Amino acid sequence: MKTLAKKDLIKAMNIWAQKHDVLSPTKTAPGDCIFDTFREKTFTLDYKKPPLSPKAVFFPHSEVTFKVEKNEYREIVSAKKMLIFGLRACDMMGILQASSFMSRDRKDVYYNAKRNAATTIVMACPGPQNETCFCTTTRSGPVAQKGFDLQFYDVGDAFLIEIGTSRGEELLSAIPLADVDESQARRQIEEFKQKAIRSIPEVKSFIKAMNKLKDGKADEKIWDSFGQKCITCGGCAFVCPTCTCFNVYDHQSSPGNGLRARTWDACLYGGFTREASGHNPRASQALRLKRRHEHKLLHFNEIDIQGSLCGCVGCGRCSDYCPVHIGTLEVVKAIAE
Amino acid sequence: MVGLAATFGSGAMTNSINDFDGADLFLVIGSNTTSQHPLIGSRIINAVKRGAKLLLIDPREIQLAEFADLHLRHDIGTDVAVLNGIMNVIIEEGLDDKEFVETRTEGFDQLKDVVSKYPPRVVEKISGINSHDLKKAALMYAKADKAMLVYAMGITQHTTGVDNVKTCANLAMLTGHLGRPSTGVNPLRGQNNVQGACDMGALPNVYSGYQPVTDLAVKKKFEDAWGVAALNDKVGLTIIDMMIAAQKGGLKALYVMGENPLMSDPDTSHIEHALSNLDFLVVQDIFLSETAAKADVVLPAASFAEKEGTYTNTERRVQISGKAISSPGLARPDWQIICELSTLAGYPMNYKSPVDIMKDINAVTPSYAGITYERLERGYGLQWPCINEDHPGTPYLHKDKFSKGKGTFIPCEFKPVVEMPDEEYDFMLTTGRIYYQYHTGTMTRRTSILDREAPAALVEINPEDAKKLGIKNNEIVELTSRRGSIKLKAEITKRVPQNVVFSTFHFHESPVNILTSPAYDPIAKIPEYKGCAVKVRRCA
Repeated sequence: MKTLAKKDLIKAMNIWAQKHDVLSPTKTAPGDCIFDTFREKTFTLDYKKPPLSPKAVFFPHSEVTFKVEKNEYREIVSAKKMLIFGLRACDMMGILQASSFMSRDRKDVYYNAKRNAATTIVMACPGPQNETCFCTTTRSGPVAQKGFDLQFYDVGDAFLIEIGTSRGEELLSAIPLADVDESQARRQIEEFKQKAIRSIPEVKSFIKAMNKLKDGKADEKIWDSFGQKCITCGGCAFVCPTCTCFNVYDHQSSPGNGLRARTWDACLYGGFTREASGHNPRASQALRLKRRHEHKLLHFNEIDIQGSLCGCVGCGRCSDYCPVHIGTLEVVKAIAE
Repeated sequence: MVGLAATFGSGAMTNSINDFDGADLFLVIGSNTTSQHPLIGSRIINAVKRGAKLLLIDPREIQLAEFADLHLRHDIGTDVAVLNGIMNVIIEEGLDDKEFVETRTEGFDQLKDVVSKYPPRVVEKISGINSHDLKKAALMYAKADKAMLVYAMGITQHTTGVDNVKTCANLAMLTGHLGRPSTGVNPLRGQNNVQGACDMGALPNVYSGYQPVTDLAVKKKFEDAWGVAALNDKVGLTIIDMMIAAQKGGLKALYVMGENPLMSDPDTSHIEHALSNLDFLVVQDIFLSETAAKADVVLPAASFAEKEGTYTNTERRVQISGKAISSPGLARPDWQIICELSTLAGYPMNYKSPVDIMKDINAVTPSYAGITYERLERGYGLQWPCINEDHPGTPYLHKDKFSKGKGTFIPCEFKPVVEMPDEEYDFMLTTGRIYYQYHTGTMTRRTSILDREAPAALVEINPEDAKKLGIKNNEIVELTSRRGSIKLKAEITKRVPQNVVFSTFHFHESPVNILTSPAYDPIAKIPEYKGCAVKVRRCA
């Protein structure tokens, strides 16, 4: 198996940056970590769980799909050769699930163009990145099972490199590597993995909640109590790696000129399900919250979940950022109780 | 602002947003917090969930009502009477903080005289609040260890706006809920930088940091700093005054920046007339607003994402905002436009960037002296007053003494809304904002999802009233005041009490300010958006 010495990582990143737009963990001035264009000065390996998953790489917050200029229609499908370095396993599973959804029945050309042009390097998690990590419960981490082009294991002075695809293998051809004994490396990876799994305890209430929902035994009242305090910001959907709903709108800049665009949407907004008549089948915030969580925990598509447990990848971001504490962890706890 | 300046000596939120996490009780009056300050609203909800008490005083059954231990739904514009009644009970019950009143305040005897006229029975007649509930509210607030009083435009947008604010301040002083963490009088500012605009002297009577233009020493200081002679030492005009002057012909030219008075000022017909009476109107904005469409010259400005600089938020925190994208077309940051105009007018302004401007602010504004760009870049902002570069900033005001020394009780008598409903105009119209739209919609109406969520103006009507008038949900109704009429859809809801209707000023299709009353507070010159008389008619 190949290894990359830690001291050579920057050199490798610079080599990759010649042919790709490289996104990597970046420290911002006030100390936050985000995925941003690779720069030696702000690159960091001490990045925990970035607040946003890199879903916007494939599914931008706002994206023009076609333009009309002087009454001429022109489709806009944009894609750049990207490399995302340092993905967490949960986010890799998020990409797998979203990609499946975006190409299962109908190929979403805008999404797939970007997805196909992107190479992924996962950094296997040695343990929980904060107290809301629960990927061992959702079977989406701490080590990625598939989907990656390369997966790095941090074993001290070097990274062991697991090759996922030929595209990943190609990346290795230009950078300085060393060889280690295959069976020893496999053993090291297995130890790494077992230790990581042990350090992220299973969230029993999650499984219990899924079962209760399946059996129709979940208490309906919990939705009323969550619905009462939800402030409808939609933030849970925006930070979620598997949420890909969008709204489409047209903008006319002058007669004969304009554009069509799509932007992120959230099922917690009333207008998401409101019909033209004004009738809304999900008329209350309680019903909208119920729909959202049932979609993740109960009504998911077997193909889309890509071998994980359900439509939630256990990244815990909705619990990290919901201003009124209605994240998945809080919801499953309430259902399970 | 004027009200708090008179009582405490400083017109701003006394405490900080983080303080909400530690309070035992919130008295929220005239603030639809979850809708207009949702992140602060969510702090209140979280605090209630951990056991804090919520005392809500609001005519409408807003989202916070679901969490309130007690919700007093007083008649619109009776805030002074209700708060005086609460103080009456507190003094009667001997629950006033005698040590605080003795050592930190002046004017208690006058306060006592005035509030003695507002026993619960009297307040019940004025406000419709059950005297038993009023007593309960008084005991709750007075007995709390750390109580935060929170208000917003429901307090200020009245002809008695200043009286309302002073009365809130009186209540906090009377009970000593001031000068400590998680207490205070906390006006929530309605825009991200309205505090900053006031701090920078975008007011007719002060320079930056509230230094009066009439103070000759201040005048001299600014003349020296700016290298000019004879700065004007007269107080200028407020918006209300300007519009009256324009209508009368005394004001000839108007330069409007980031405001849309044709939509946001009361009595639109009057504003329309005033603007068309001008010789010259300049509007600087990021979109062609209703007002900009009437301008002789439009100066395209850069949006928040297209420029750098600082904002000062509701808790007096100055924060840096960076540039994320380039401006379209000819749009430029406001400061560049102003600098160039000034230079063309004969006073060269050669600032290279907001960093240079901040240095000037530091030099002439004592409360901002220590808020340098270098320090702001290192963290999450600084709260004024911050008097030098070693000062850590001020999370809560009036710690051991008030900005003006002793706090002054300025008791106020109750005065009703100027235009009360009568036989012909039999409903009280109150106006405000909704969650999805912002002000006159210049930005949010152009944002697809927000406009989808709230695409049209609604008027909230109580089910009993709707039944009497034969109005169904979503039906078009006509609202008419003495100044004009508009048509809009009815939302039948118990959120509003009977004989009251509520609507918003976001929609140019149904501009509610055609209806609103031009009456304004004599001191702050803030219009009475919260109450005027209208009649309601079913259109179909």
